[in-house]
Amino acid sequence: MNNENKLKGRDLINIGIYGAIYFVILFAVAMLGMIPIFLPLLSVLVPILGGIPFMLFLTKVKKPGMIFIFAMIMGILMLLTGMGPWPLLTCAIAGILAELCFKSGEYKSAKKAVLSYGLFSMWIFGNYLPLFTDYEGYFAQRADYGQAYIDAVQKLMPLWMAPVLLVACFVCGLLGGLLGRALLKKHFVKAGLA
Amino acid sequence: MAYSAELAQEKRRGLLDPRTKLALVLLLAVFVLGGLGGEQVKPIKTVLSALPFLLLLAERQWRRFGRGVLLLIVGYGLLWIMPRLPSALGFLALLCGGILTRFVVTVVMGEYLIATTSVSEFISAMERLHMPQAITIPMSVMFRLFPTIGAEWRSIRRAMRMRGIHLGGTKAGQVLEYQLVPMMTSTVRIGEELSASALTRGLGAPIKRTNICRIGFRVQDYVLLTGCLFTIFVWIMELCGVKLW
Repeated sequence: MNNENKLKGRDLINIGIYGAIYFVILFAVAMLGMIPIFLPLLSVLVPILGGIPFMLFLTKVKKPGMIFIFAMIMGILMLLTGMGPWPLLTCAIAGILAELCFKSGEYKSAKKAVLSYGLFSMWIFGNYLPLFTDYEGYFAQRADYGQAYIDAVQKLMPLWMAPVLLVACFVCGLLGGLLGRALLKKHFVKAGLA
Repeated sequence: MAYSAELAQEKRRGLLDPRTKLALVLLLAVFVLGGLGGEQVKPIKTVLSALPFLLLLAERQWRRFGRGVLLLIVGYGLLWIMPRLPSALGFLALLCGGILTRFVVTVVMGEYLIATTSVSEFISAMERLHMPQAITIPMSVMFRLFPTIGAEWRSIRRAMRMRGIHLGGTKAGQVLEYQLVPMMTSTVRIGEELSASALTRGLGAPIKRTNICRIGFRVQDYVLLTGCLFTIFVWIMELCGVKLW
């Protein structure tokens, strides 16, 4: 029993494959966040689009630990792309929650999979955290973007946006999960991938 | 006894140890891109920013060096021209310039890491750092796949463009379904083949793998790592409120 639940090379490689797809989509969308209006919208776009690879990933998850490792790797990549240490923390928390949720469905419940992706998506909030924990400092660091940029972002991101963004991540995660499931049924099952 | 394969490996050995490269990427990501540290760290940041370009030159990666410098020039050019433009255009120029000057350095460093490190070198460096396999295997698969995904995506975009499925085309609404889905399908296929090949070569096997790559710290590594520690030291001193210069 214990041996069966241990992660093998193939599982780890699967994490890498789907992690790479997820990260490429995340990165492509995050580039939009440079335009101020898209900065809060990232918490909508990333969970929805990321749902497609993540739902596909969940069809390969049969053992405990895979979702958590996936989340931690996202955290490490965020550190390497200069988002600071906060995402590591939110990734750990969201990863554990998503893991527990999917585990309670015995790694096959479709409803639990969607819910699990919603919980997982909450890690994205970690990218916003430096903005809210250190409001002044965040804008001081970005002074070279110009005053117009800072004004625009400050108007879009008042402090009360913090809980809104967190909820948006979760809700859009659910939507993304549903979208992922729909595409899964329509394309990937036919192609023999899911 | 030296085997010819070992000698070839020695010849191909890069300038730096992968661990040094990783430390530099991390340092650049946190200080230059993440913008940590204030006035005291600023002179060091300038030195840090020049580092990836020097490394690319030292490894004779002319094209990557040229591209990086070009982007940097464009970025500073935009910042320079900004005050002379009407306000809407100026804002755009400032934004693009700000992004370019901020990102290019770290991107170039990341490119240097990926271009000059083979997957085997990366794995053996990670093993020496005692990183668990649960992290190193997915990471090395990812680094291997990024360029592949890029290439696949470009080809698929070109194919779909012919049928009018692209942003601004007649069927822009279908972009998501007919560009993302094929991209993912082919990436997963490629990934599965990659995984079969890696497993045959014993990746993830319960025993310790051996590796022909020569890695290890040399003088240049020690110099750069001391530089890294010094940067962190200056930053901590600044946090404590000590004036160094």
